[in-house]
Amino acid sequence: MNARLQQLEQKYTALDAQIAESPVKQALSLLHAMVHEVRREAGPSPAGAGRQGLTIRDIAELYRTAPAMEGPAQNAGLPVGTEAPDFALPDAEGKTVRLSDYRGKPVVLVFYPLDWSPGCSQQLDLYQHDLAEFTRRGAVLLGISVDSIYSHGAWAAVRGITFPLLADFHPKGAVAQSYRVYRDRDGFSERALYVVDADGVIRYSHVSPFLNHVPDIRELLGALDRAASPSPAQVAA
Amino acid sequence: MLGTLIDDYPAQARAFSPAAAPVVVYGTSWCAATQMIRRHLDRLRIPYRYVDIERDPAAAAQLRWWSGGRASHPTVSVGGSILIEPTLDELDWVLKEAGLL
Repeated sequence: MNARLQQLEQKYTALDAQIAESPVKQALSLLHAMVHEVRREAGPSPAGAGRQGLTIRDIAELYRTAPAMEGPAQNAGLPVGTEAPDFALPDAEGKTVRLSDYRGKPVVLVFYPLDWSPGCSQQLDLYQHDLAEFTRRGAVLLGISVDSIYSHGAWAAVRGITFPLLADFHPKGAVAQSYRVYRDRDGFSERALYVVDADGVIRYSHVSPFLNHVPDIRELLGALDRAASPSPAQVAA
Repeated sequence: MLGTLIDDYPAQARAFSPAAAPVVVYGTSWCAATQMIRRHLDRLRIPYRYVDIERDPAAAAQLRWWSGGRASHPTVSVGGSILIEPTLDELDWVLKEAGLL
């Protein structure tokens, strides 16, 4: 941003407190937002320059203008200390993935409502960007939703997601139901996280209080660290 | 005056000095995009101040003023340049322009 533009931006920012709430104020702030979007168009990878039709980036960003994914949680999930129910679900390549395949490693189960929807997109991006933090802890990350393997494949390709996405497609949501995170009224799962330890026991359980809330990744990484240490039951034994 | 709150985020937030690092991230604890921006700045070792807009009504009002009536977040200020819900590429571009990257 050039110095003049920066100066103008600062003056604009300072005026906020001096203008009472009114349609005029609303119009001014809308104009500011429009200028911002125009500037963004001219940014590092201009959205409209020299191309025809939709780009991969346009498709990856569709969630920004998609209908909201909101609403309070309807389920509490399984409690910590429970043995994690085993499952066999196909990934995007059609390969069957079983929870028990990963015995001996901590597994993070990421139940999310739907591919392509707001919130979900960003939650999995967050984990993808921090994949090194999961691998450093020897952990396996598995995304699970009721979408088909084909939706998972397209969605993972568009977003650059490299960890497995499992299709809880038929019977629809059966695995989400066994983990008590299936929203009957909506036909998809809560946004929920489980950390399953090397022995297959749930050591962390989190159901987002609202569908659009993504839990703090630091809390999840902390839970993984704790799952790597012996459980109280193991210590007692 | 814009109120600010620094949460328990580690070293970078505490090390903030306006002269050296004029980066401010406005967001909420449950927003994935806010978390992604913060983790990105952490990985780049760029100090920043974090403002939780749910704990700071003045900051939320500021965001509404910037972004056309809704408190769009994350919003990042880099030396006074305002970025509303930036992609990581857009953020890097402005950080480079500011000589921080």
